[in-house]
Amino acid sequence: MTRRVAVTGIGVVAPGGTGATAFWDLLSAGRTATRGITLFDPSGLRSRIAAECDFDPFDHGLDPDLCQHADRYIQFAAVAADEAVRDSGLDPGSDDGWRTAVSLGSAVGGTTRLEHDYVRVSEHGSRWDVDHRAADPKLHLAFQPSTLAAVVAERFGARGPVQTVSTGCTSGLDAVGYGFHTIAEGRADVCIAGASDSPISPITMACFDAIKATSPNNDDPQHASRPFDARRDGFVMGEGAAVLVLEEYEHARARGAQIHCEIGGYATFGNAYHMTGLTTEGLEMARAIDSTLDQARLDPTRIDYVNAHGSGTRQNDRHETAAVKRSLGAHAYDTPMSSIKSMVGHSLGAIGAIEVVACVLALKHQTVPPTANYETPDPECDLDYVPRTARSRKLRNVLSVGSGFGGFQSAVLLTGPGGRTP
Amino acid sequence: MITTEVTADELAVLMKKAAGITVDPQELKRDAESPFDFFGLDSLGLLGIVGELENRYGLSLPPDSERCRTPREFLDVVNSTLKTGA
Amino acid sequence: MSTQRLRRAAITGIGVIAPNGQRTDAYWKSVSEGIGVLDRITREGCGHLPLRVAGEVRSFDAAALIEDRFLVQTDRFSHFAMAAAALALDDAGLGSGEPVDPFSIGVVTAAGSGGGEFGQRELQKLWGQGPRFVGPYQSIAWFYAASTGQISIRSGFKGPCGVVASDEAGGLDSLAHAAGAVRRGTDTMIVGAAEAPLAPYSMVCQLGYPEISTVEDPDLAYRPFTSKACGFVPAEGGALLVVEDEDRARERGVPVRATLAGHAATFTGASRWEESREGLARAIRGALDEAGAAPEDIDVVFADAMGVPEADRAEALAIADALGSHGRRVPVTAPKTGFGRAHCAAPVLDTVAAVLAMEHGQVPPTPNVFDICHDLDLVMSRARPVELRTALVLSRGLMGSNAALVVRRGGESAR
Repeated sequence: MTRRVAVTGIGVVAPGGTGATAFWDLLSAGRTATRGITLFDPSGLRSRIAAECDFDPFDHGLDPDLCQHADRYIQFAAVAADEAVRDSGLDPGSDDGWRTAVSLGSAVGGTTRLEHDYVRVSEHGSRWDVDHRAADPKLHLAFQPSTLAAVVAERFGARGPVQTVSTGCTSGLDAVGYGFHTIAEGRADVCIAGASDSPISPITMACFDAIKATSPNNDDPQHASRPFDARRDGFVMGEGAAVLVLEEYEHARARGAQIHCEIGGYATFGNAYHMTGLTTEGLEMARAIDSTLDQARLDPTRIDYVNAHGSGTRQNDRHETAAVKRSLGAHAYDTPMSSIKSMVGHSLGAIGAIEVVACVLALKHQTVPPTANYETPDPECDLDYVPRTARSRKLRNVLSVGSGFGGFQSAVLLTGPGGRTP
Repeated sequence: MITTEVTADELAVLMKKAAGITVDPQELKRDAESPFDFFGLDSLGLLGIVGELENRYGLSLPPDSERCRTPREFLDVVNSTLKTGA
Repeated sequence: MSTQRLRRAAITGIGVIAPNGQRTDAYWKSVSEGIGVLDRITREGCGHLPLRVAGEVRSFDAAALIEDRFLVQTDRFSHFAMAAAALALDDAGLGSGEPVDPFSIGVVTAAGSGGGEFGQRELQKLWGQGPRFVGPYQSIAWFYAASTGQISIRSGFKGPCGVVASDEAGGLDSLAHAAGAVRRGTDTMIVGAAEAPLAPYSMVCQLGYPEISTVEDPDLAYRPFTSKACGFVPAEGGALLVVEDEDRARERGVPVRATLAGHAATFTGASRWEESREGLARAIRGALDEAGAAPEDIDVVFADAMGVPEADRAEALAIADALGSHGRRVPVTAPKTGFGRAHCAAPVLDTVAAVLAMEHGQVPPTPNVFDICHDLDLVMSRARPVELRTALVLSRGLMGSNAALVVRRGGESAR
């Protein structure tokens, strides 16, 4: 059984603004939300910059318990999910909860809270036999990865399959993909799908410092995230969440819902190469793209936009450029491909979902968001990366692709009105 | 003044510790011009070795050090840095 | 127009690293004989914690099973996973490195506790010594995706790769993911879960679960379905399976040990055990539906056995609700009382026990449980010989997931 899957609601918490409107304003203006880290004192780190969310949980109608006790990434997800469900017009109370699923991704989950409490129970890293008496009694909620999906499921009375996906930096794409499968294969009619991460903490920054993956451009944070630009020097950490309401197409039609677009296909493959390294050929990502096109029975020439992983590491940008050329052939040169990480940073597991929402908005506004900070072409990256300025364009079929530590290579295809050949 | 020099023997020990690579020090000396790949050492492993040395000697190695392709190249960069105390 | 036969997911390989047995035969011997291995926790830095009893995987020799270059960059949970995956591949006749299309084999694991011991070591370096002392492997060892990634790299598998980061029921969800990937066209999936939650800080993090047992006597700490139920005992270890398209397995000439016939999952909220009754019953019905099985077809139930009175009652009632009068007659067992609940790996180890039970025609017993206070035919004391064709595996998670899996013996098909 394969059923059509519509996107009927979106919500986002991103650096530079909460809500889809503020998010799109930032993207379409090509503004960057990267800055010096304020969430903790980053002295001693190599990379001291990030794209942070100016986020106060009390501003968003969350109940006091969530505001005071929940991890930041859970709060992001709750706010993004609220917006998505509102946008979809679904009345969660009236719908059959047993037919509502949740599929949310996170790469590092409760790490930030875990580190915070670790410092206390270990007396600043001085003891291995940590003192449990100093721990927060709710620490298990940070330790348990499915807290994310559980909190969101509770919020909307979802009682169908509820799961958390954690495939590193493709978590967001894969969570949307799993949600797509859940509906397409009949396990639910509605799925709240997306991802969240709040990784701006000493341990996460330090572990990327250790492999020199993040940008050390501390003197010019606004211009530090430079995907595809010859002068790039690593990614800029981000944080945030995005959630989509996915719905079986006829279910959405029957209730007269707005249909933003459809999920045309999803695929993921492993590169079986290296936990952090990427090949220069991009074979596995190309395979993921090809598979989504097959599922939608779409010719590669009908792709109108590629939302790139575009992290701004040299190996990623070359890998991805090669993958897109492999899949789209000569059409790759006529297809705009941009990275919103230039503006909102790289929020690890969350970014895949944030990028899918960016694609939904691109389809809605028929506008391609730019790659900010792109100035100096890299001879090995010779596609159209939409430098600095958003571009109006007829968009019907758009791809979002991603790569993650562990070798994950994923692609999601979105089709707007007129996108799919019946 | 630092007079220490990192030898091929020490590099072999570091490769084991930081990257789990077993290499005979004699072989490492003999094939010092062979790429690190030849010994099974990847970029993360080399970064781990750079980190160990930086912490041991309390100094920063130049960014070139982690891009070295061979043991010879790497030891030259490390030892010239140690000599100048940079 | 040709009608394509539905691709079915068959289990052709099993690899186990469990507290009561490393390798499948050792595991089955302990399980079938009802040997309990729960004991006081011996891992360094844990002795002072109020959680005293667990199922530890002792004398696990990672270095004998996994290459050093993988060991230095991974946590214990990935060591278990890599070791179990290699055993499963050997069992399925895929360990010899015969050339296959790398895209035809994928990997999916479930994980609920991540690389806690590795993470704690690196946190200690960061906060005790400074950021420069954090090593290059922290970024790939602590996160939940580590085991899937390393298994894929170690064996060169490029098929669909995934990670369910979940509470216990996620172990069954991972099997459903694998079955789905096979149905959608992937030949083979390496699937399962392994956990290593017995490091000091990880244990501190688990103390907040109201369901965890803090009883100090290993024989009394985990006794589900009894009036003395006082919570569950955690464990480490896990199991990986080779799951492949049934036709493909027959072409390769390897025995089909069992098929993954049906799965369903629901959610009823953390620690709301009374509500898990309906959730679990619905999951069971969903799994039976997908398997095309009737309640009477179920020959044995591997219970979740949370060990919390309300949870046990809800499970007993769910079995009755979903299986009707058959629910009172069908043998029910919970071998995990002998070695603990290894989070996401718990239901995968149960699935392995179910396959082995069907192969041996024996329902294994529930160690340490002697008198129960629910209307169930719980198998106690010693294994019961019965011909078994179809097994039902149940799992519930501490955050509120409920899942059910129907497994059929190799060679059996839906009515």
